[in-house]
Amino acid sequence: MSAASHTETAPAALDTTRGLNVMVVGVGGQGVLMISKALALIGQRQGLQVKQSEVHGMAKRGGVVFSHVRFGAEVWSPTIARGEADVLIALEWAEGLRWLEFLRPQTGVFIADTRRIVPPFACRSRRHGAPMAYARETPAEVLDKVGEGYALDATAIARGLGESRAANTVLLGVLSASMDVSAADWLAVLETLAPPKSRAINLKAFEAGRAWADAARGDPSLSFDAGFDTHVTQADLPDVSVRHTINAAWCKGCDICVKLCPERCLALNEHQVAYLKAPQACTGCHVCEWLCPDFAIDVQTTLGT
Amino acid sequence: MNDLMQPSFDVKDYLRLQMMPHFMCPGCGHGIALRSLLWAVHELGIDKNRLAVVCGIGCSGRVGAYVDANTFHTTHGRPLAFATGLKLARPDLTVVVITGDGDCLAIGGNHLIHACRRNLDLTCLMLNNEVYGMTGGQVSPTTAVDRLTTTTPHGNAEPTFDACRLADAAGASFVGREVTRQAPALKNVIKAGLAHEGFSFIEVMSDCTEIYGRKNDLGESPEMILSQKSDMRPEAFGNVADEPFRPNRLRAGVLVQRDRPEYGRIYRQRAAAEQAKAKAKP
Amino acid sequence: MTTPSLASLHGNRACALGAIAAGCRFFAGYPITPSSEIAEQMSREMPRANGVFVQMEDEISSLAAVIGASLGGAKAMTATSGPGFSLMQENLGYAAMTETPCVIVNVMRGGPSTGMPTRPSQADIMQARWGTHGDHPVIVVAPASVQEIYDETIRAFNLAEEFRTPVILLYDEVIAHLLESVVLPQRHTVATITRKWATGDETAFLPYAETEDGVPVMARPGGGHRIHVTGLTHTQDGFPTQKPDLAARATQRLLDKIEFNRDRIERVETFDTEDAEIVIVAIGIVARAARRAAQDLRAAGIRAGLFRPITLWPFPEAALREATAKARRVLVPEMNAGQLALEVERILEPDKVARLNRIDGEPIGPGDIVRRIRETAA
Repeated sequence: MSAASHTETAPAALDTTRGLNVMVVGVGGQGVLMISKALALIGQRQGLQVKQSEVHGMAKRGGVVFSHVRFGAEVWSPTIARGEADVLIALEWAEGLRWLEFLRPQTGVFIADTRRIVPPFACRSRRHGAPMAYARETPAEVLDKVGEGYALDATAIARGLGESRAANTVLLGVLSASMDVSAADWLAVLETLAPPKSRAINLKAFEAGRAWADAARGDPSLSFDAGFDTHVTQADLPDVSVRHTINAAWCKGCDICVKLCPERCLALNEHQVAYLKAPQACTGCHVCEWLCPDFAIDVQTTLGT
Repeated sequence: MNDLMQPSFDVKDYLRLQMMPHFMCPGCGHGIALRSLLWAVHELGIDKNRLAVVCGIGCSGRVGAYVDANTFHTTHGRPLAFATGLKLARPDLTVVVITGDGDCLAIGGNHLIHACRRNLDLTCLMLNNEVYGMTGGQVSPTTAVDRLTTTTPHGNAEPTFDACRLADAAGASFVGREVTRQAPALKNVIKAGLAHEGFSFIEVMSDCTEIYGRKNDLGESPEMILSQKSDMRPEAFGNVADEPFRPNRLRAGVLVQRDRPEYGRIYRQRAAAEQAKAKAKP
Repeated sequence: MTTPSLASLHGNRACALGAIAAGCRFFAGYPITPSSEIAEQMSREMPRANGVFVQMEDEISSLAAVIGASLGGAKAMTATSGPGFSLMQENLGYAAMTETPCVIVNVMRGGPSTGMPTRPSQADIMQARWGTHGDHPVIVVAPASVQEIYDETIRAFNLAEEFRTPVILLYDEVIAHLLESVVLPQRHTVATITRKWATGDETAFLPYAETEDGVPVMARPGGGHRIHVTGLTHTQDGFPTQKPDLAARATQRLLDKIEFNRDRIERVETFDTEDAEIVIVAIGIVARAARRAAQDLRAAGIRAGLFRPITLWPFPEAALREATAKARRVLVPEMNAGQLALEVERILEPDKVARLNRIDGEPIGPGDIVRRIRETAA
């Protein structure tokens, strides 16, 4: 595994000796910091100055995590300015898009896991199976805008190896294929960082990422996941169909359902009887049914659409 | 399955449909309380044929008639006494008492404290709307201080009862409280009360919107039910001076649960011992 | 053993034993003189009979518990005296309205108010009939001996069950605390009546149906007929109504149920009334004095007789008319300021009726009655 395996058409390897700005982004729990630590160690092994700066801590349940790693003959600022990152590694798809403007135009290398972790605030409707406010760009569209881009389902690759949490190491393997650092150096760094228990899986993940990247560097059509579906739903919740009925004969128009519906999808008609004004917004949460003093509302939720 | 799905519960299975729509005013919290009760009954799998609902007089007293069960609309303040006889005679029935703040704490106060003390296996739901609604909005034992009613035209000068503390002090082996706003939580408290062997007292914070709400400018039904939450957390408003009285610092949930001998069981045990003694005699 | 046994019993004890013989399996009460012995006896007997005794917090709840137990299916009873009986009036009306069989014993003591708790009286005759508000049916039986307390307690239960109505057992403090010999029949020889339970189709069931005898069958909780019981004026389906025609029919049926069955409810005892020129109308302990008085008058050549309504309400009007057909004078001696007399005067020509009242807490003796007859017959 070395630069020798690269084909003639492959992009040139990044020259670490001239210094390199790498941004690692993702959400809490993905292993952003492990990647940046590995990069910092790689830089040190090259005899370069290293500065690493990170933001984390609000990331317990999917919050943003990012890390700047800079190494070179002489590095002063710990952070990377907009448009000056040589590499952007994204462990989560939308996070990659969020930081895209930090990447050096034309020449920057974009490496992203296409795995999507939908943040709670992307939920615009609490209806089961409702579409989420999440990035709609496809990998093909995004890779078109960067100098060199790789979008892969690293999580799936890692899961295939038996440990989905090793997705970060898969991405590190992808990155390694673009850098003029010897395989021995990478393996030494991994040995240092990975705890003994997970050393073997990390090494395998690294190899897998590197193998994927070698293939993609040879054939750009392999560099992104063509089956990427832009339609993101609340993936972990079952699809639920809602049947919302109002018994007009029992409704006394007290307005409780109208005012307490979290989606504001009910209203009173001209006869002061409640009706479902915005059925598409109804999530089947049952609040109107529970709080109807007149038993006039019946909400039935069934699994499947 | 979770509450959101409430898989098989249809309140209409437990209602006398020929009586609907019910006669309570728009926005009256009693309907929500009734649904929560029936929901709890459903989840516990209680057979309608073995469910008895005993009510007193007043708005709360009229709630029982809508339940498709054995329902008894008794005299003012006395449902606990009727229920005591019914349960002692028929321990196989699940006996639920629905009463109001006036029914339970004023005219029926004596029966409440003795029901608590006796600890017969009854579940008593006191629907507290802070007023005598049926008779036109007179002051009740739970009307908050300074509130306007048709018999306190200058504002209520009497302190209010904390029914749960009363029941606790009288020895109720289960005491709970919940607001109608939190219907699933209310259902859970009722469920716990029904499952408890012994006397269960549950105060349901309900709303009289048409009479009490208007008289006191408490807003329309939605505003009143929304304000229940702030009433339950008055410390957020810095008003704790009048504790324990409403609307100050009322705690919700299961407040008391203690292991006390259930009266009916004890009575039957002693009766059995008596009968055995009589048989042993030549 | 099939022969009846003979026992010496106090009136109140005979009442308790009669209740148990009648099938009473629930007693709720509150202590009050002079009825407390009934509760005490029941507290001992009920557990042995597989029944329930409970001492409630007051008389209101006592009758409430009795009605609750009866609606649950038990034959039920309470016992009290004047002040407690006053407290029971609301639930007495509820029992009448909901047609709940139950027996209420009122051992009369001196009133009004707390009055003379240990002294006898007959001042609750009208309260027993009219004490609760509204037009209501009621059956009141008034025994005059310990044996009759036993027998009439059984009959009170039978009437309550047969006609689905509260039955009041009304007697005075004297016979309550009187010790007499009583013939106790073997338990299996006691004729008891139990209410009719609903069976069959549950959906079409009308809990207050207008039946031929005016008495609807009862729905037993747990039996599948899930009915509503209310003190509100209700139609045949048990649910409230304010429609004038339906309301009138409902209340009328309650009254008719008793009125049309008078022959099965009324019971009287007469002595020598066939040829009597003087008829004494009396109940309870006074009737015993009156019988002696009538005998004394006969011995003195005055044709006197006694008419004793054992069923006090509905008042046996026809029987009274028959018994007084030849009488030129009717005397109503009673331990009150004049209550039974009001009814007798209503039925007969008022001029024919004389009164003898005692409100001093002392029983009326035969001498009092003889004296009064000599005064009024002159």
